[in-house]
Amino acid sequence: MLNIGNEKVPLCEGLSRRSFLTVGAAGAGALALPTFFRLQQAGAADVNKAKIRNCITLFLVGSPGQVDTWDMKPDAPAEVRGKFKPIKTNVNGIQICEHFPLMAKMMDKVALVRSLHHKTGATHENGQRWMMTGHDFNADNMKPHIGSVVSRVFGPKGDLPANVILPGPIGNTGAGPLHGQTAAHLGSAHEPFFLNADPALPKFKIGDLEAPAGESQSRLDARKRLLEQVDELQKHTETRAVGEHDAAYQRAFRLLTSPDAKKAFNLNEEPDKTRDRYGRNTFGQSCLMARRLIEGGVRFVTVNHFDTVFGLSCWDMHADGGGLNNTYADYERFLCPQFDWAFTALISDLADRGMLEETVVAVFSEFGRTPRLNGKSGRDHYPNAWTNFFAGGNFRTGQVIGATDKIGSRPVDTPIEPPQMLASLYHGMGINLDATMMPGPGDRPVRMVEAEPIKQLFK
Amino acid sequence: MEQKFDATPKAELRLKGRQVTRTDVTGDWGLQLRWVVKRDGKEVATAPARAEHTYVHPDTTPGTYEIVLEQFKYMNYAKNPQGEYTQSKFVAISNAVTYTI
Repeated sequence: MLNIGNEKVPLCEGLSRRSFLTVGAAGAGALALPTFFRLQQAGAADVNKAKIRNCITLFLVGSPGQVDTWDMKPDAPAEVRGKFKPIKTNVNGIQICEHFPLMAKMMDKVALVRSLHHKTGATHENGQRWMMTGHDFNADNMKPHIGSVVSRVFGPKGDLPANVILPGPIGNTGAGPLHGQTAAHLGSAHEPFFLNADPALPKFKIGDLEAPAGESQSRLDARKRLLEQVDELQKHTETRAVGEHDAAYQRAFRLLTSPDAKKAFNLNEEPDKTRDRYGRNTFGQSCLMARRLIEGGVRFVTVNHFDTVFGLSCWDMHADGGGLNNTYADYERFLCPQFDWAFTALISDLADRGMLEETVVAVFSEFGRTPRLNGKSGRDHYPNAWTNFFAGGNFRTGQVIGATDKIGSRPVDTPIEPPQMLASLYHGMGINLDATMMPGPGDRPVRMVEAEPIKQLFK
Repeated sequence: MEQKFDATPKAELRLKGRQVTRTDVTGDWGLQLRWVVKRDGKEVATAPARAEHTYVHPDTTPGTYEIVLEQFKYMNYAKNPQGEYTQSKFVAISNAVTYTI
């Protein structure tokens, strides 16, 4: 607690809205966010010890079709139900696609949300923005990635950044650069740390963790001390932008010099059996690294399953015969098996290590796919209905939230929009959205996401 | 960025009666895994192999049966007009076991 006048401010969960409003009404000299963060820096508030859960988000770039995966419609006409068949799971009454046989054995650890939809454009970028920020937006009004919000409000726990995206950022998905994977107004110190390397490669290394050629550890330490002295001088005159730049620099320096950081990123410390169990591929090894990073102190890890939808096998099943020629063959032989193998490895591994209750696992995508097959047996973009899901944390798993109609074209029960998913994710992490604010543009306190958690999802 | 597939998958098969048992796959690419059954040299069936380590082919038509474990090997996503891969394909990753009915 930090006393501001007669008001107690519960800093371990950020800043309560009621406190903020009360104190804000006391006048301009009261608690502005820059003051709050300076108090944090001065040690008045140790948010590093905030007790919130961690999160791993697997983002399925391209977006699986709901009818072909987790919301099958076996009684629908052939042009709707498609090629695959449903199988039973270990939860009575829940069926999923036959190409997720391992996930079917652990459905008791998953909460499916089958009534997800959004009402803006049907581009990948619309969906990415929704599912990674809780907003759709344009370049003049950018919103921060959910991991950047967690980084800003709770800070890093050690030398590792609070927010990491593996293996790299989303690139070209067709409609511009706004994917929702930036810190936006929260500043450079809270930008996601992008691995920008492929952990499946035998000689995998991370450039940011390698000391420049000719730089010894002692010389790096000397440079760090000099930086700290300059920093002291700067504090008298610094602007916020300078401070943010400095924070980003400090973060990079910590990564460069921290043994813990190097250890967390070193997959070679894992037994071959574990690496095999996640799958010897980019996605699988990224999921394994996500677990290592969470163990090492990262709060929020996002794994992008693909960085584009063009010219490679991915979930974007248009079957157009050209650059978007993903088909049922990709789903059956590559995508579903790869996801099934890596996702179930991650859940089992977290559970075996006693980490699952302290880690929220979210599987998100941009939208659904058209209920009716197109002329080439593909499915096109469809934001009116799709399925995403949660595991871990305090989620009540082994259940389905919401339902779609007979052909998977629209929600008919408990319609859910993306901000509710993010609110649920925050809630699953243990964040009280009524008591924890984040700085908005101009440092005005704003709610982390303008929605309520889905109550049925929680114990 | 294309997915990279490090390592070479391998498994060992053992036969007891008509039941074939596989080991865990080392160097597992994580892609589709299947049993391939040939009778008298001709492929007669495939079956999913990921969820279980054992398999009994239900057909008892007389002949000599050979069973091998295959995994899909992704090279690229090139496909023919029917939407089937043209360069990526299944490859054998185990020894073959045989029995005669």
